[in-house]
Formats: sequence, structure tokens, C-alpha cells
Amino acid sequence: MKSFGYVAAMDAKHAIELLAEHGAAAKILAGGTDLLVELKDTQRPPGIVVDISRARDLKDIVLTDEGLRIGALATHGEIMRSALIRDLCPALIEAAHSIGAVQTRNLGTIGGNLMTCVPSMDSGPALIALEAQVTVAGADGQRRMPLVDLFVGPRKTSLTPGQLLVEIVIPKPNLGKPAAFQKFGLRKGQALALVNAAAAFWIDDGKDAFKAPCIALGAVAPTVIRAPQAEAYLAGRAITPEAMAEAGRIAATEAKPISDFRASADYRRDLIAVLVKRCLAAAYARATAKTKERVS
Amino acid sequence: MTDEPKTLTRERIAVGDMWRYADDARSLPAAVPPKTLPSEPLVPQPGQQTLAVGQRVTRPDSRNHGLGRTKYIDDLAFPGMLFAKFKRAGIASARIMRIDTSAAEAMPGVMAVLTGNEIPVNSFGPTFQDQPVLADPIVRHAGDGVAAVAAVTEQIAAEAVEKITVDYEPLPAVFDPLEAMRDDAYKIHAPNSNIYASKVVRRGDVDKGFAQSDQIFEGRFTTQMVEHVPLEPHAAIAEWDANGRLTVWATIGRITLARADLARTLKLPMNRVRLIGTFVGGNFGGKNEISQEPALALLSKKAGRPVKGVFTRNDEFISSTTRHPFIMEYKTGVTKDGRILARSVRLILDGGAYCSWSATTLGKACILASGPYKIDNVHSEAHVIYTNKTMTGAMRGFGAPQVCFAYESHMDDIAKALGIDPLEIRLRNVFDEGTSSPTGQVLHSVVVRESLRNAADRFGWETRS
Amino acid sequence: MTDVTITVNGSVRSASVPPETTLLKLLRDVFQLTGTKLGCDVGDCGACTVLVDGMAVNACLMLAAQADGRQVLTIEGLAMKDRLHPLQKVFEESGALQCGFCGPGMLLSAKALLDDNPDPSSHDIRDALAGNLCRCTGYSKIVEAVQDAARAMRDPRTEDTRQLEMHGHD
Repeated sequence: MKSFGYVAAMDAKHAIELLAEHGAAAKILAGGTDLLVELKDTQRPPGIVVDISRARDLKDIVLTDEGLRIGALATHGEIMRSALIRDLCPALIEAAHSIGAVQTRNLGTIGGNLMTCVPSMDSGPALIALEAQVTVAGADGQRRMPLVDLFVGPRKTSLTPGQLLVEIVIPKPNLGKPAAFQKFGLRKGQALALVNAAAAFWIDDGKDAFKAPCIALGAVAPTVIRAPQAEAYLAGRAITPEAMAEAGRIAATEAKPISDFRASADYRRDLIAVLVKRCLAAAYARATAKTKERVS
Repeated sequence: MTDEPKTLTRERIAVGDMWRYADDARSLPAAVPPKTLPSEPLVPQPGQQTLAVGQRVTRPDSRNHGLGRTKYIDDLAFPGMLFAKFKRAGIASARIMRIDTSAAEAMPGVMAVLTGNEIPVNSFGPTFQDQPVLADPIVRHAGDGVAAVAAVTEQIAAEAVEKITVDYEPLPAVFDPLEAMRDDAYKIHAPNSNIYASKVVRRGDVDKGFAQSDQIFEGRFTTQMVEHVPLEPHAAIAEWDANGRLTVWATIGRITLARADLARTLKLPMNRVRLIGTFVGGNFGGKNEISQEPALALLSKKAGRPVKGVFTRNDEFISSTTRHPFIMEYKTGVTKDGRILARSVRLILDGGAYCSWSATTLGKACILASGPYKIDNVHSEAHVIYTNKTMTGAMRGFGAPQVCFAYESHMDDIAKALGIDPLEIRLRNVFDEGTSSPTGQVLHSVVVRESLRNAADRFGWETRS
Repeated sequence: MTDVTITVNGSVRSASVPPETTLLKLLRDVFQLTGTKLGCDVGDCGACTVLVDGMAVNACLMLAAQADGRQVLTIEGLAMKDRLHPLQKVFEESGALQCGFCGPGMLLSAKALLDDNPDPSSHDIRDALAGNLCRCTGYSKIVEAVQDAARAMRDPRTEDTRQLEMHGHD
């Protein structure tokens, strides 16, 4: 690894000060599982690495009036062990569990995963299916925006130098919304997604129909995307395996997968259809299990 | 620990020193007492259970492995030891026009730089000596080393390597073995043909056999290149002492061969070369010959210090040997009831840029190509071809797994087409006690039939769904 | 240079290292705790696994500075003065270590699992060890060994019984 400067931030405020001070020379170190690999390989190391991994105030997972607040520095391991997340949005646990392996999940953070902005990130689809918001802070204050607006293109976010991703918020109305995440990689551990997907929907109680369906897909476009046509198809439709399968087929036509050494575009399209169907089925199973639990 | 750790002024060991527990644990009695085996060696008869089967295996070295005390090469360090890094060509086929190492040599901490023209005999290999230690002047695959640096730290060595500039004249390249076989293909080791070794096994008369067959099946099977990925990368330390004697610690499985190769490349009498085979963190055939060792030795000679070289994982993939990709064409003539009358096999091995253990792999694959089946008429031929890719060499089975994949897949295809149970078609053809193989070897202790039946019983072949 | 003070295997140790030094380099090159291995240097193979504050991490993906003030357990600290850790004992007995290079990381990942889940299923073990590659064993002996060790740790008496069962027929 080439040499670089290093400074540790004690909390979010300190981190923002350090970022303002060092400007474009600074590179943020959160979990380090992507950054260190990059630094080992780079010809042009950053002037200074701002280590935010000690900023305790960026780590909390708490329930607020707005919804569920997940600090950007929560590790995938912490998300998997969070009772709040297990109860309110278990699809995030499925997503966290599918990332890397134990060792990388204990280091890697949800914020870091989002900020890599690689199309195959596993944190993205489940959060987007639950219409997550993010808070971004900089020297000029904080702002809130939908997570989808964070993603601009492969490895490119809408943040400017000096800005810090502070937290992810699952809006209160979406807490408990039945959702599921599915991933297909070349092996179960330590593999990038060929395709990943998440789906969330409410069950229109009277009619047993899809209500407010949300489908998100990863690794099949320059960023994580929604599948609006598949969602429109499902909205108000009776919940049947056929409808789930058809939604999968529609979603496959909405994506723009590429062919690379991991898989061909055609194979990825087939995977989208299957994974979307499985997500919908898993979310439905989760919802009915919960209803039964409530009844008994 | 209740106390907050406080910064100590110097690096030192505080009281408590628990990390030494591993030292005490080392001398604890073995977990499993050694078994007393009978002093008379027992020669098992076919079908007879040996004493070893069903026993747990304990290795005497497991204790140290589990305690983290086993010393692999990268765990060794000597006073004044330098670290070597290699400049890789990054181009598959080229002529080196000029190498400029001056910027690297000028870097503080760089103690020696080496290029191919400084190597006394710049070629090695277990069969043909066709591989250079450092390419000079022809680069034959992107992982070829073109220069090496020894510096006081790994970091400086790596930065020095980046400062070396090489001018290349790109040459034609060929990556597909079938293309490389053509007469007009670019000759990777000019003027020789790209077909660098061949073997034919003949038995009976295949043409007659095919003529007598009720049906003939053809199949084409291919396999890919595979890297051994030993968890421990290739590593070695070389020390050229003031008396002109060389000591090399290396993760090499065949130390006597490596010693001979080292002596040859360095033009040293063999008695001046001491090669110490250390613990190997996984070999699988990939560490059966020298690779970086002559370069480390010469760097040590130049710098007057011991030099350690450890491949990066990237080096491991592009600059160590791999398993041969095979293209396998099978043609089999059978009777209606599935007895094989004739089989012809043609194997094309993608040999990469250098021979390494290709000739051995070729031979074994060719001998085994027709499978464990009684076939009176066999014709197997195999060719290994140079391509501008990472060299291929020994890997577990020396070509046997590739042909096994092909002949067994082929048998399944035949069984399916003839409507015969896949197990049954094998039982109708397999070797028996005393069968002679296609090369005329009379086989003993043959239990293929029993093994197949046992296996089928164990996993419930008859009742499969 | 960055000053780093960590508690390694119970001992407080300090060093002043360049900022780009990984925890792995600190342990191996500065503290000479070479039991922790470098296999891939990008967090794929798990040979560098150590426990930081009880959690399994890749030492190659952590800067030494990030470990400042924290507790680190390496393979050299797994055994007790008078006995092996049950995992070490069972791995040794059952041939779960062949070339041994993955062993230190594998054992520490298994320890982190058993500290958290004393009765893991074979699926739990495979999940917990997914970040530790082994090229020799084919994993089945490792999974069995972790189960055996878990059994022994849940009830130390069974350990002795199993010994009897194993050697009773000699």
C-alpha cells in the first residue's frame, strides 16, 4: 500500500470539520472493506484518510417519530443482530446476511456499502423497496433525500466532497411492511450478486390484493433501480402465484443488464424474473405468518 | 482487562505476556496417543479391510498448525533481509526493446535491480527448459516477469517496480490452441511448431471396430483453466553468502529437482546450492518447480543480503502454473446392448506459454483417455500446444480429471441414447481382474465393479427419484 | 506515523507505524505474531482472521490505527497455559488441519461462532466459516470438528466419554 495521511474523527461533527478542512484530498474510511482493497491497488493514494469508524453517534439503530433510523456506520453484523430491525424490517437482515462473510460483515457498514454505489450492492434493493430516505450532512448543514437520489451511476453518488452520509431512515408508514430480499451469486458466501432484488407490499385486507407494491433490482442497471411497470401491474391485483410470476417477467423487461464474465444479460434477465417472483412469495409468506402470530 | 491500555513509550511487552501460552501448550501430550501398528507390514488382499480404513488421521504437525506456531516462509525473517517484487509484462506477446531501471535504482532503500540479461542461463523447466526466469527479450504471456527489485521494505520494492519503464514492440499473439496448431499460426517459440509434445496410444484396429459397431457416438468436451490457489502464495528466501554458496528456503515440493534447476540457471556447481524445503501451505501441483528463486538468488548476490519474495495473489493467478484447459473429442462404437467395440479420442491441451509439467500431463491424460473400460480397439492421441497465456503445469491428477469428466459424460450420453441404465452400461464394460489396459498393462486388484455396486447400494441408486 | 496501542492476547503493546500499516502487518511484522497469515490481502480468504473485541474480522482489511485501544485475540492467544482450546484439540485429533495455513483463521472464526452460539447446526457452521477458505480438507472434517468441539464445550464430561468411545476398541 502506498503511503497516505490519517486522521480519526471522534464524532459526526468532527468528521465534517475534517472533511471541510481537507477538501478533495480526503477519503472517508468507514468499515474499510472496500476502501482498503482500493488503496492497496491504487496508483494515486488519497492525501488523507479520514477514519470515521470511531464516530459512535453514527452507529445507532433507533426508533424515532420519523421511523427507523439506522446510523450510516452500523455494520452489517450489527444490522443482523438488531432486534428492532428483526421486528420491523427483516428484509434488511436478509440483505445484510448476503454480504461477504462474517469477517467483512463485522467491519463493513451499511453507509459504506451505499456509498460505494456499485450496481451489485446488496444494501440497496431492500432499502429502496421500503422507500428509505437518507440524511446527508456537510459544512452547510443537513438535508434529507430519498435514497434513490443518492445513486447517480456506477461508483458515483450525488454527494459532493465535504458531505457525509449520516443515516438511513425507513419512514414510519413502511415499518412492518411485508418485504423480502433475494440474491443470486455464483456461490453463497463471499460472492457478488449476479442479480439481487427486493419487493415490499401491503395486503389489501378485504380483497387479498397487492397494495402499494414496491420492487427494486440490483446489478441489472447502472444503479439500483425500481421496476415501476411491474409495480403498476401488481397494484390492486389479487395475490396469486401467477401474478407474482408475471410481475417477475415484466420486471425483467424493465432492467438493462449487461453481459460480463460473471453472467450474460439473458441469464440475468431470467434471474430477475425468478428472484422477483421469489421475493413476492417470501414477502407474502412473511405477512401471513405474522397475521397468524397475531391471531394466535 | 480492566485497565485502559495506555500508550507505551517504546514498543515493548507488558507483564502478563499471555501470548506465550501457545509455547506451553506445544508440549502438552498428544491429543490422541499414537497407535501401535503391527511390526509386520500387512499386505491387504483384494477386498480385505486394511487397518487404516476408518481410523481418524492425526498428523504430528497439527499441534503447531493449531497453535499458529508452524513457520511458513513468510513467517521467517533474517537480519538485513530485503523484499523482492517483480515487474510483470502486462502484455501477452512482445519483444522488449528497452528496459529503464534507473529511476528504480535511484530510489532510497532499493538495494538491487535485476533484468533477464543478467541471468547466467535464463531458462528452466522440468521437461523442456523453455521458460525464462525473467523474459529477455521475448515476452510470451502477460504474467512473464521482466525485472525484479530488492528493497528494504515491500512497499519500497513495489514502488520501485512501478518506476521501471519497458518499451515493447508488440508481436502477434495466439490464445486459442486450435488456431495455434495451424501451420500459419504465429510461432510462440520460433522457429518450432506450437505443438510441443504429442502422444499416441494404439490398440487393435479402431476402423475395424467402428465398422463392426451397431451405432457410433461422438462427443466434444471442454474444460477450463484452473489455478491451484494454495492459501499460501509462492514464497522463497535466498541468501548468497560471502563464500559464494547459495541457501534457498522455498515452498517447493520437489527440492532435488529444484536444486538442479537452480544450479543450472545460476551456473553453479550443485554442491554450492543448498535448498531447504519448508512447510508448504498447499501445493496441489503448483509448487513443483522453481519460479522466482533464481532471481531472488541473484538479487541476494548483488545486494549481499538475504532476499525474500512472496507472490501477491495476483502473481499467483498470472505467473504460476495452472491446470490445462482440454478440448476432448470422443468417438465410440458400441453394440446394441452397449458393449464398447472401439473408441478414438483426440485431446488438445492448451499448454500456455511454457511447458512446465505439460509432457507428464499429456502422457497421463492420453493413457487414461479411454476410461476404465475393456475396449479392444483404441486410438488415443494427445497434443499440447503453446498459447500466449499463463503456463499450465501439474495439478492434482495430471490431466486425469479432465479426461474422466469427458469419458464419463460420454458414457452417460451413450447410455441415454441406447436406453440403458447408466450404471448397467458401465458394468457391461468395466475393467476386471487381469484386464490389460490400452497400453498393455495387466491390471491387478481391480475392484471397479464392486466399487460401483457398493456405491450404488450406499446412495440408493435403484430407489432414486 | 501513527501511535497504536492494542491489547493483544492480554498483553498491552504499542507501536508507532506508518498510517497505511494494516492490523495484519502490525501483528506479523511489528509484534512478530506470525500465526496470523496473509493469504489474499483483500478479505476473501480469511487466513488473516483475528478477533477484535471478540468479533472475527479480516486483519488485512483493517488499519492498525483502527484497532487502537481495542482487544485483539490472535491464534497465539487461543490456548491456555495448561490446555489447548477445545477447538485446537479437536482439530488436531480429527485431521481438520492439513497444510495448516488456513488453520489460525479458521479456528478463530469457529471460536467467534461458539462464543455466540454454543450449539450450532452444520448450516450455522458453514455460514460462520464462509469467509475462511481451505484448499486441502474439503471442509467436512472442519465442520465435524467444530461440532465436536461445541459438544465438548457444552459439557466437558462428554469430552472424556468421547475419548473413551474413540479409543475403547484399541
